[in-house]
Amino acid sequence: MAGMLPTTTSAPVTQDRPQLAAPGAPAATPRPRPRRSGLQRARTRNSLVLTIPALIVVVGLLLLPIGEAVYYSMTNWNGLTAQWVGPSTYLALFENPAFWQVLENNGLLLCSVPIAILVPLGIAALLHEHVFAWRLFRSVIFLPTAVSWVVIGMVAARAFAPGGAVNQILGALGLRMLEIDFLGHQYSALAAVAITFIWSMVGTNTIIFLTGMSTIDPSIYEAARLDGAGRLGTFVWVTVPLLRRYLQFGFVITMITAFTALFSLIFIMTGGGPGYGTTTLGSSCTSRPSRTASSAPAR
Amino acid sequence: MAARLGPRAVSGSPVGRRWRRLRRDPMRVVTFLALLAVSGVMFYPFVFMVLNSLRSEQQYLNGHGFSTASWGELFRALPVGTELLNSTLVCGAAIAIILTCATGAGFAFAKLRFRRQTIIFLLIIGSMMVPVQAIIIPEYVNLATVHLVNNYLSAILVYAALGTPFATFLMTAFFSGLPDELIEAGLCDGMSHRGAFFRVALPMAKPALATVAVLQFIQIWDDLLVGLLFLQEPTNRTITVGLGVLSSGRVVSVPVLMAGSLISALPAVAIYLFFQRYLVSGLTLGVNR
Repeated sequence: MAGMLPTTTSAPVTQDRPQLAAPGAPAATPRPRPRRSGLQRARTRNSLVLTIPALIVVVGLLLLPIGEAVYYSMTNWNGLTAQWVGPSTYLALFENPAFWQVLENNGLLLCSVPIAILVPLGIAALLHEHVFAWRLFRSVIFLPTAVSWVVIGMVAARAFAPGGAVNQILGALGLRMLEIDFLGHQYSALAAVAITFIWSMVGTNTIIFLTGMSTIDPSIYEAARLDGAGRLGTFVWVTVPLLRRYLQFGFVITMITAFTALFSLIFIMTGGGPGYGTTTLGSSCTSRPSRTASSAPAR
Repeated sequence: MAARLGPRAVSGSPVGRRWRRLRRDPMRVVTFLALLAVSGVMFYPFVFMVLNSLRSEQQYLNGHGFSTASWGELFRALPVGTELLNSTLVCGAAIAIILTCATGAGFAFAKLRFRRQTIIFLLIIGSMMVPVQAIIIPEYVNLATVHLVNNYLSAILVYAALGTPFATFLMTAFFSGLPDELIEAGLCDGMSHRGAFFRVALPMAKPALATVAVLQFIQIWDDLLVGLLFLQEPTNRTITVGLGVLSSGRVVSVPVLMAGSLISALPAVAIYLFFQRYLVSGLTLGVNR
């Protein structure tokens, strides 16, 4: 903090200097340009050649459309002609009760993110014990990550349906009064989507955390054991802090998935229903145009 | 580790040793059983798919009996061969573009210092956050104005664009891990920067390239939204899109859907199991930055 003080106080002085010097000393060059060697220039040229393909793809196919999306959101656009209307679309959106329900759904589904971190953390800890056949278990737990959201959604929709696996298990446990059509009511449908989402994140997160645990030096555990730490104490006070970066990474991956990939899951499992029951911001982008004739056509 | 087991346990294969340790320690038995239960939950969809795809509609409703009727019906309802071919083609072309863009950019970011580097890097990496749903409609209109819609090329371009930021991120992380001396040695020996890239860095990046390719393959193979919009002709649909359309169509026979799910899932699962090692290293490459 102390180091910043002189630079801030000297800033106006450096600004004034050219004005004072300009009339008196015309020979002074405005700014000495750093000399660049041939190697440096070659490096810059080659860097540009190497980065330009990626830049073209990203700017042309990602950043241009997102800019257009922002622009067209301020216009009355029918896909061909656009007429500027300012932010009124947003105001209309905020007045639409369906929008708030959709936002609430997003919020509720985001509540599943911590669970999608904690459950794989526990599973990774179990796998790290290296019991009999743990490699086989690791592969099986990892396997669903390869399956598309379409397939996961289709199986999950059957599992949560009346007479499906979940209701059968509830019945077998003697919880017959909890047996319902999960996808038929707003909150139970959201819960079903959230559980399926957590289930599908288990593979990725478990592997991330397991890799993290394998990087921890065993002598640290030895030291903790000698200091009298129990299993749980070692896990909470040694393993989890050392996994911090892996936990952050898992959190970022889970958040990104929650925002982007949930679309397919909801599209297949509930179609955004019942009503707007499980529609999120992502899936409303594609379902709203087909439901209300007044908004811009989707195709 | 072996010291704790005692002399008897040291002999024998690792698997045998684990089995004996398991029988002795009650906590390990609990862990084993818990993992067995978790694996059961994770494996459930595969069992469900296999069992129910081997039933006819009637048998599915009754809950007993097996037949291959649904498989026959699947091949009548869905051009499975064509769609698998489409998926392969789209995946392959998109991955080729992604690898070309990401290796070059990753190398430049990690090993060459140049002006405006930070801003270009942030531009590319930051577009990882661009949600597909937000860009998909303007993207469709843009590609339609240049008459690219409804053929493979549009889907390939969109997939390539969606995959490039993350792939660039991984490749930059990988090339940062290579020692600078390698590149400098090449330059001192009279190589150009291009030579150092093609003849020194690229051959060393093969594992990273495999990682990116496998990760992107699974992403693209499993994608629904982009394919749904950009590949609307029944003849150029990918298998995942075909399945998505089938499941939202009029004929909803669960066994047929399960047979289709199984077919669409198998290639990705096979690639996954085969290249598991690369996937793990790829997922954790992102951590070490």
